[in-house]
Amino acid sequence: MIERIHSLGRGAFELLRRPLSRAFDSEQNPLNHLGALTIYFCWIVLISGIWLLIFFRTSVSSAFESVEYLTREQWYLGGIMRSLHRYASDALIITILLHVIKEFVFNRYRLNRWFNWVTGIPLVWIIFPLGITGYWLVWDELAQYVAIASAELLDSVPIFTNSMAGNFMSDELLSDRFFTLMAFLHLIGLPIFLVFGIWLHVFRLNGPRINPPRRMMAAALLAMLVLSVVYPAISHDKADLSMAPQVLRFDWFYLHVYPLIQRWSPGWVWFLLVGISVLLTIAPWAPPARKTTVAVVDLDNCNGCKRCVDDCPFGAVEMVPRTDGSNYTHEASVDEELCISCGICVGACPTATPFRSRSALVPGIDLPNQTAADIRQDIIDRAEPPANAPRVMVFGCRDDEQTKRMLKAGQNVVTVRCMAHLQPSFLDFVLSRDHAEGILLLGCEDGNCNYRLGAEWTEARIGRERDPRLRKRTDTSRLAMGWQAPWSDIKDPVKRLAAFKASLENEEGNV
Amino acid sequence: MKLFYEILAWAVFSLVVGLLSVWPRYSLVDEHNAIITVTISHAAQRIGECRILTQEELNKLPPNMRKPSDCPRERHAVRFEMRSGDNVLYEDVLLPSGVWSDGKANIYQRVVVPAGRHDVYVGMNDSGGETGFDYETQASLDIASGRNVVVRFDPELQQFTIR
Repeated sequence: MIERIHSLGRGAFELLRRPLSRAFDSEQNPLNHLGALTIYFCWIVLISGIWLLIFFRTSVSSAFESVEYLTREQWYLGGIMRSLHRYASDALIITILLHVIKEFVFNRYRLNRWFNWVTGIPLVWIIFPLGITGYWLVWDELAQYVAIASAELLDSVPIFTNSMAGNFMSDELLSDRFFTLMAFLHLIGLPIFLVFGIWLHVFRLNGPRINPPRRMMAAALLAMLVLSVVYPAISHDKADLSMAPQVLRFDWFYLHVYPLIQRWSPGWVWFLLVGISVLLTIAPWAPPARKTTVAVVDLDNCNGCKRCVDDCPFGAVEMVPRTDGSNYTHEASVDEELCISCGICVGACPTATPFRSRSALVPGIDLPNQTAADIRQDIIDRAEPPANAPRVMVFGCRDDEQTKRMLKAGQNVVTVRCMAHLQPSFLDFVLSRDHAEGILLLGCEDGNCNYRLGAEWTEARIGRERDPRLRKRTDTSRLAMGWQAPWSDIKDPVKRLAAFKASLENEEGNV
Repeated sequence: MKLFYEILAWAVFSLVVGLLSVWPRYSLVDEHNAIITVTISHAAQRIGECRILTQEELNKLPPNMRKPSDCPRERHAVRFEMRSGDNVLYEDVLLPSGVWSDGKANIYQRVVVPAGRHDVYVGMNDSGGETGFDYETQASLDIASGRNVVVRFDPELQQFTIR
């Protein structure tokens, strides 16, 4: 059932991903940086907010005028900052929504990833009040509506003895203290919780991506700037508590549940919000995912080099003092709770080399249910006879749709957990031992690595920038990384393979 | 060509952001309607009179708890009604708040009415009677479209205000 939902969701996500992959290569595709893009929009909100704060006056009588001053008299800076503040806040709701959907449909919220998933839910409960209190501070007709509807929502919780909404019945009843409280929440209280919440959300990850690529940052800022200039954010008329706001330019990103307060009742709105949050919170265990076998350290082959620790995307490997009395000071140790069996640690281990012939291929760290020796045997078994030249050995990620499509099309694919599960010497092994003339690494579609850093580490290892590096004798022109241009432009992996074979043939012909 | 698609993608993103931040418009009340908001926070009368304790009863109590009278904490429910002419706009019976039912009863209700003239009658009973009201007021109002008329109960003056 849950797999069916994931599959349907991936299909829907594909509808968005496909046109975007025309516009962006994998590194620049915003869908591969949704979390980082959200944090980046938060930065825009913060910096523009600081400018607004300089001129903002936190009292009922002068808040509206101070925002009007920023919007109209100081339009060239304050007005643009206000619009940036508004639109970046809205944009981050889109990126959050896509981030949640993506992690869900690609099944990246269960097993050891439950922590990141669950800690993301309070962030949503912080961000929405943050945005809503921001609307409140303008003290225009929309703010009046938001204030009263929010108070009605809070009044329905049976913990307040007096009606909060009753404070908004006339200008005389409304006190500056209440307004100052909202300003405090928006400017200091909630942002502090947000920063702490973001830290909690990512701190268990190894090398979390806090910033998107620079080009993407520039493009996102430019997009928001252009929108701010073309369609600047403006206020409604000043709040008048003797009148009911009639037609409102509604921000549906933040206020989408508010009409339900009138249409249903505040109690049902709470039920909806809390119900969704509870469902999301229990999602990682509904149903529980099958725990896979975790990586195992073989101390006879572990020299404590720490590369597995550096490369593990989930911080599941740590160095501990040696326990076997050898001369090395440290050894790798796997945290079973955090390990997700991606095999990236195996790909980082210098001893996971298929060229070992004097001793059995037992690396310092390995996956028991798909050992490095299993992969070597799979390569040997799947090697085609030389008569089929140019022969291309295809490596696919086990959970990726492209691998499934290739297998369905009857193609010969060596399946690994992640591209970074392959230690680079395996690529050298394939070419130097004449198992194929070329290698196609399918990877995850558009470089959207199921284990966060697989594509990045693979590129760095093949590019000889990160240990273990690909040997210099390996001809990289015979290697194709499917998530990189020009191969990523060919969406069908079968056609991509055919194109790569054709390029190898051309190369042979030219020689 | 790729750059064109990239610009297009960001333009569409901006368009979605800009559009959903203001549209579709939302109306709280229709053009020809107005709102009457009732907001009352009122502690009703207690359910019984205080009783003077006898000396015998006082002697049974610990010295620090010898209050001469025993007053019930619970309060009556508040019964409220608002009419425009013969048309009942809102009526409700509100229980007192608090674990011991000794707190204020809170009424907050928005009623949408057609703009125009309304002979508004408001009544509230806080003494537990099944019929009749302890506090009443009437007002003839000409309510403009979009107006928010507020009905309150002033706890100091013990009377309704409508404005």
